[in-house]
Amino acid sequence: MTRYAFFPGCLIPARHPAMEFAIRSTLPKLGIEIVDLDGASCCPDPIYFKSKDKLSWLTVAARNLTLAEDLGLDIFTNCSGCTATLSETYHLLQDEELRDRVNHRLARIGREYRGTSRVRHIATLVRDEVGYEKVRESVERPLEGLRVAIHYGCHLLKPSRVMQVDNPDDPQVLERLIEALGATPVRHRNWYLCCGKACDGEEIPNQMMHDLLTTVHQEKADVLGMICPTCFGQFDHGQMKIAKLFDEDFHTPPIYYFQLLAFAQGVPYEKLGFERQRFKPTALQRYEEVAAK
Amino acid sequence: MASRSDDNDIVRVDFAFKRELAQKIEGNLANFCYQCGACVGDCPATRYSPAFNPREIMLKVLYGLEAELLGPDSVLWQCTNCYGCHERCPQEVKPVEVIISLKNMLADRGLAPPAADKVIQTFMGNGRTVPDNPAIDKQRAKFGLPPLRPVPMDEILVLLEPEIEEAGGS
Repeated sequence: MTRYAFFPGCLIPARHPAMEFAIRSTLPKLGIEIVDLDGASCCPDPIYFKSKDKLSWLTVAARNLTLAEDLGLDIFTNCSGCTATLSETYHLLQDEELRDRVNHRLARIGREYRGTSRVRHIATLVRDEVGYEKVRESVERPLEGLRVAIHYGCHLLKPSRVMQVDNPDDPQVLERLIEALGATPVRHRNWYLCCGKACDGEEIPNQMMHDLLTTVHQEKADVLGMICPTCFGQFDHGQMKIAKLFDEDFHTPPIYYFQLLAFAQGVPYEKLGFERQRFKPTALQRYEEVAAK
Repeated sequence: MASRSDDNDIVRVDFAFKRELAQKIEGNLANFCYQCGACVGDCPATRYSPAFNPREIMLKVLYGLEAELLGPDSVLWQCTNCYGCHERCPQEVKPVEVIISLKNMLADRGLAPPAADKVIQTFMGNGRTVPDNPAIDKQRAKFGLPPLRPVPMDEILVLLEPEIEEAGGS
């Protein structure tokens, strides 16, 4: 078992505990020991908090990173927003002058940021530390024939110089992770579009989501796989809103990758909290029926 | 304040504005912009709202056209924060970060949108961006998860106090 500090953020533990349950259920089966962090706050939010005061944003983020530094562990995140904040902080604080400014503030609470803990999104952690083959070996019921449209979202990939995850123009990580479950990844035409959640106002996000959902539906995918809880909200409640607004039959159920992995590893459908979703990934149930026969 | 002067339509560079922006973290990066427009083609906000154009925003920054950038209901909030411009810029201007610096200036002037104030307010209360609610721990218990861990707000609030001893902003 390799130990990593788990930075859960706000949205997943508070709004989507099913996703956290899935993470805690799947990672140990892949040889990763989850170490919880005491005293972690919001990452903080890379959109509005950062827009309000970037120095305070960096300082609070640096404090969170010091919690993992105290344990001598690298940190993993389960939300693209947290990944963006913590990765950018790690990147920016390589600048000594800025690090001094932040440490000047951290000194108020007797902390010092040293830059010794790396930050990784859980998807990259699994790709790099576990490997696709071990994911495949952990699968108890291969999801053969399941068509999974892909939504990467923005902050897993960009800015690539900071995130260092994958090529943002032709990323592979989600496709390969989906394939490891035996399912078929589907790259719809507008795969690169943003979910729009971080844009203030209605007009831009509504139009963008409409275009995104249109090409998702052209592929007739069973589910839409993703790794960000913010995007997830846009595709669950948000999808219903857009369907009504544009009078379209949009209905592809979104699914957080680690819930899909948990299901493929044998966790029963009804234990994964799907009943709380607006669009339920009922296509998965056929794999339970097969297993029961 | 920078302006297009009334009499002969000459744009005068507002250096005071540019100095204030340069005080912000990564605020001075626009100086390297050579107006190639690589940021525009990949910008989802531009695609849906012609009023939002990162190249034009960078040009206004170069001139220091404060009145066009920092008013109420600023177009800057239409940025989707997708970081496509950061990815594309051959000069490493990071337009999105310049825009965020401008948003910091808007916030200094009390012009942040209600959504931003709400996030900060919630954070100042419990250290998270999701408000406290007894239903959260009940939901967690259904998945066998322990209650949310407390955030030491005393530490956080001390960190957020402004820097009186230092000159310059954030």
